[in-house]
Order: sequence, then C-alpha cells, then structure tokens
Amino acid sequence: MLKIENLSKAYGDKKIKAVDNISLEVKPGEIFGFMGPNGAGKTTTIKMIVGLLKADSGKITINGIDNQKNIMEAKKQFSYVPDTPVLFDKIKAIEYLKFMADVYGVSVQDRERVFEEYTDLFEIKKAINDPIGSFSHGMKQKLALVGALLHDPELFILDEPMVGLDPKSSFELKRIMRERCDQGKSVFFSTHVLEVAEKLCDRIAIIKNGQIIEVGSMDQLRAQAGSQESLEEIFLELTES
Amino acid sequence: MKELMGLAKLFINESWGISQFIYNKNHNQKAFFKQLGLMVLLVVALFPSFIMYISFMGILYAGLSFVGQTSSFLVLGFVMTTLLIIVFGIMQVLSEFYFSKNVEELIPLPLAPEKIILGKFISILASEYIFTLIAYLPVLVIYGIGQGMGILYALLCLPVLLSLPLIPLALLTALFMLIMKGSSIKGRQDVIQMLFSVLFVAAILGLQFYFSSTLNMSTDGDMQQILNSMLNNNEILLNRIGYLVPTSLLVAWGLNVMTPMSLVWIILLLVVAVASLWILVQVGKRFYLNSLASGSVARKSKALSADQRKKKLLRRRSKALAIFFMDMQNMLRTPIFLFNNVSVVIIVPLCLLLGLTFSGIDQSDLSELQSFYQTMPFVVTYILIGIFIFFGATAATTATSFSREGKASWMTRVIPVSTSDQIIGRTLSALLIQGLGMIFTVAVVFYIMPLKLETIVMALLLGLVGSMPILLLGLFVDASRPLIN
Repeated sequence: MLKIENLSKAYGDKKIKAVDNISLEVKPGEIFGFMGPNGAGKTTTIKMIVGLLKADSGKITINGIDNQKNIMEAKKQFSYVPDTPVLFDKIKAIEYLKFMADVYGVSVQDRERVFEEYTDLFEIKKAINDPIGSFSHGMKQKLALVGALLHDPELFILDEPMVGLDPKSSFELKRIMRERCDQGKSVFFSTHVLEVAEKLCDRIAIIKNGQIIEVGSMDQLRAQAGSQESLEEIFLELTES
Repeated sequence: MKELMGLAKLFINESWGISQFIYNKNHNQKAFFKQLGLMVLLVVALFPSFIMYISFMGILYAGLSFVGQTSSFLVLGFVMTTLLIIVFGIMQVLSEFYFSKNVEELIPLPLAPEKIILGKFISILASEYIFTLIAYLPVLVIYGIGQGMGILYALLCLPVLLSLPLIPLALLTALFMLIMKGSSIKGRQDVIQMLFSVLFVAAILGLQFYFSSTLNMSTDGDMQQILNSMLNNNEILLNRIGYLVPTSLLVAWGLNVMTPMSLVWIILLLVVAVASLWILVQVGKRFYLNSLASGSVARKSKALSADQRKKKLLRRRSKALAIFFMDMQNMLRTPIFLFNNVSVVIIVPLCLLLGLTFSGIDQSDLSELQSFYQTMPFVVTYILIGIFIFFGATAATTATSFSREGKASWMTRVIPVSTSDQIIGRTLSALLIQGLGMIFTVAVVFYIMPLKLETIVMALLLGLVGSMPILLLGLFVDASRPLIN
C-alpha cells in the first residue's frame, strides 16, 4: 500500500539530515505505527509522503502510484490529518466538509452517509454550522478526521492523531482505524503514546536521527530485544543507546 | 529595570527575527544571504527616495525663507512625521498588543503588568525611532545649517528626537486600550483592523477633497492676501500648522531661536512625553491585561436541521468551483482581505464620482466632453480598458490567493486538485471582483455621459482579457512564494 525506498531529506545547508536513506513498506490491511523521539524525522517523513515536502532522493509509492510522477492520482489514494490541524478559520464546518467532498469527488449518496455517520460518532453535528475559528483544538481535530474520512481513502495517514481528542473520540478513532484495516485498507500513523501503538499496531517502525533503527511486529521487536518487555522499555532501550 | 529591558529585547528579537537571522547565518547560508540581500536591496531601493526627500526639504526650507516663514519649517516636519507615525503605528500597536499571541504566555508569569506593557511599547518605539531618524533628522540638520545653529541646538535636538514618536504612540496605544476594553468588540480584532483601514482611506480622501475644494474656492485676491500676511508676520504659517500637533509648538519655541527659554520649552516637551508614558501605563494596568484575561467572545451560528444540512452538503460542485467558493468565502469573511482586495474597485469609481461632484463640472464642459465622445468614442473605450486593467493589477486578488490561506495552505497542497482547476477557481474570484469594479465605473461614467452599448461591451471584454496576464502572473508569483505566516 505504501512503499518508501531510500528516502532522504536534509534541511538548511544539507548539513542536517532530517531523514537519512530510510526504506519501509506498509502492507494492505495493516496498521503501521511510526515512532521516535522528538526531532527524529517522523513529521518530515510524513510530509514527504503526502507531498508537503519534496524529498532530496528516494521513491514513495502509494497504492502502486509514484507520488512524484503521478501526483494527482497519488493524492486520491490517501487522506492526511496533521498533528495541528490548522483549517480555514472563517469557514463553517459544514462548508469545509462540502469542500472536501467536492475536491475528492465524493458521490451525493456517499457524502450524506459518511457525513451522518462520522459527525454523530465524533459528536460535532451540533456545531456543524459554526465557523471553524470558534472550535477548540480537539473539535478541529475531529473535523479534520471527518473531512479525511469522507472519500474513504485506501491509505489513512495521521500525525499524532490522539493529541487533543477526548477519551470517547480517541476510542472511536482507534475502532475506525481497525475497521478500515479489516476492509483491506491501511493506516500509517505517528504517535508518542506507546500504549496505543503497542495495542493497535500490526507493525511498528522506530526512527532515530533520521534513520530507521527497528521495524517489526510487537513479537518481532520483543524477540529482537530478547525478553518480554513492553514497547516502552524496548523504545527507551533502542532510542537511548 | 533589568527585567524590563530583557522583555523589550525579547519582543524586539521576536518582531525583527534577530535570532532566526543569526541561526541562518550559522546553519542556513542560503536563507541568510536571501535575508541579507533583501535588506541591502531595500536600502539601495530607498536610498534615491531618501536623497530626493532631503532635496525636497532643502527646497522647502529655501522657499519658506523666501516668504519669511522659516519658523514653520521645524513644525512642518514635526507634524508630518507625527502624522506618519500615527498612521503606520496603528497597525503596529494592534499587532504587538492585540494580535500577537505572546501575551498568553506572559500573563501566567510573575511579571508586573507595567513591565509587559512598557516592554511591548519599547519594541514598537525601536522601529519608530529608525523612522524618526530618517524622516526628522534631515529636517533638524537642514534648519540647523540654514540658521547657523551651534552645539546647544544639537544637544536640544536629542530630547526632541526621543520624544517625537513616544508621545503620539503612547497616547494612541492608551486610546486603543480604552476602545478594546468594550466587550462588544472582543474577539473581533479583524473588524477593528478593517475599520481603521477604512477610516485611514476616508481621512486621506477627506483631506484631498478639503484641499481641492479650498483651492477651488480661493480667488486670486485671497491668495494675494495670504502672501501679504505671510510677508508681514513670520509666524502665521507656524500658528496655522502647529495647532494640528500642539507639541510641535513646543519644539518650534524651543529650537527656532536659541534663548534661555529654549531649555524650558524642551524640558516641557519631555514632561509631556513622561506624562504620556504614565497615562499609557495607568490605562494599560487598568484595562489592557484585564481585557485580554476576560477572553474573546466566539461567534456561534444557529444549528442546522437535517434538511438544511442535506441542502448545503449534497449539491455537488466541480473542483474548480469548489476552489472558487472556498477562496471567495475566505476572502469575504476576513475583513482585512476584503478591504485589501475589494476596496480598490470601490474607491476608484467613488473618487471619480466625488471628484466630478466636488469640482462642480459645468454644463458647457459636459457638452464638450459628450461631443468629444461622439467624435472619438475609441479614446473613451481605451481609457475605460486602462481603468479596468488597473483594477486587475492593483486588487492583488490572485497575487495573494495562496498567501491568504495562511497556515491552512497545507490543505491546498494535499488535496487532489489539478493546477488548471486551481487556476480557474482562483482567477474566477479575481474576475468577479474586477467585474464589480467595472460595473461601478461604467455606472459612474454613464452618469456623466451616456455610453454606447459597443463601448461598454468592448471595454468590459478587452478590460477582462487585458488583465488576464497580470492576474495569472500574480497567481504564479504567489504560488511560488506564498507568504503563509
């Protein structure tokens, strides 16, 4: 579903390599967790996948489509929710959702069904006619999630999705992520909440100083570590060594 | 004092981006040289204007000495600099005290309110002192050389330069704090920003019409009388201008001629400056932080019924139209964008209309104009086309299209909308606004002389076609380098 090959990105005078020759693959039906300390290169990687940053070298394929050669087709395959969802403050929530439905070409039937389902689930229906500027961080996050789910993407990319969400919405989001993967779609997300990653992810990649230092399922990570440690202990061992 | 200077340094660093500049010097040479290049370019570009300004002031001084009015020279420069400081200071005061988010981080810290207020005020003053040096120092130097002034004059100029921006800015800031304390405008800073922009344009237009109508009413006899009084009384101009900014009179009395009283007048000026600062601190302590701490009022709309939701959501639009509607909604609902993009297409026809009304165009001129149009209609058509292209070039609707999205522009780069759809959607909003200006202009011109249908059609069509390259170039430049902060 998502294939990253030898991806690199440096900032400034190319002295600081934010992402250094990384490769990984997210399979269909998989929830893939992407973890690492602050400044490790998670957000830079995600921004290159979604087209917000241009890679210095390497290749990214989304559902078999090269995101640098066939940009429009690649964009149709995924939806993205950033860590801080800055949306148009003066626009009403319903106008934002309509805009998202229009640009992704969602059919009339689908937009009504998905709208009703997710605005109920995330409890934002009452505020749907309010300007986004009046929303709290969590409300904006929920609206961005509904907007991202409208076109039923093959790949769901989220950067720190649980930050700002209330416990119920957080629970619902995890359920949606699992449901999508059961349908053969994929989820790629970054998080610092290790308990969530441990329980939810089929596979996990740990990035440090721009390089992937470990990839695998929880069992594989434990086997590598040679003990029945928690993800937290494995993470700390790997990132502090 | 140490704490206050630390705060002021922090605010100056933040607003001038000094730390970022030093970081770029050490870690991002490309960005550093870009910033440095821009600074050098700015200085080089403004230098000829500065030389022209100095020459103009020199000529003005010579002209005033010819009519025996050199006493008004310092006042004239003082009033002009003060008015410019007020005009440009409005946005700076609003930005630093009300739009800047750093105050939310400062309120919980154990800092005395007056230190936060003064720290912010000093950061505004820092840039205004640079402006004062550019605008008023040449005036002081020209006068000093012209009158053969000595060291005492030079020493007394220092407190004048120090107090020049301080007094109007301190009082302006205090006034804003009083205005902003009203609960009805909390959280509506953008409306206030637009209100002041409109007032600014209205003031300029008002002054323009006041002067032109005054000049129209002055007969040759009046002018002769004014000249005679000027030659007889060398303080007539000083008294006429000085009342606009009363502190300018203190400067004139203090610096025009060096007497023992000069020191007294300049000390009085310093007293006024300290009093202004005291008023700012007192008003600020009482109203500024309190008004911020009480929070902003978020607007809420009526909840939608299921039918209303359906109606709004289910009408499908093409991608280009979706971009167009989003762009228009964003622009129309953000007062400052609305003002920047729409004002020109309203102000130009309005100026045309007011100019014609105030200048009192008589019937014979009107008939002459109409017969000119009858014989050479293509000239009027070309003029109209020129005005319409001017709308396209100055409204900057496409040239700020991506920048207007600010930090939400990540969406534009993630959604699957082709370049052609983006161009169509964003150019449509520009054309709509331009069309508005065209209709207003045609209506105003029609009021003076009935236009033929072919003139209107031709002007509208060629005006739109002619402005397309400018609109597209603006869009291209903004897409390449959007200002998203």
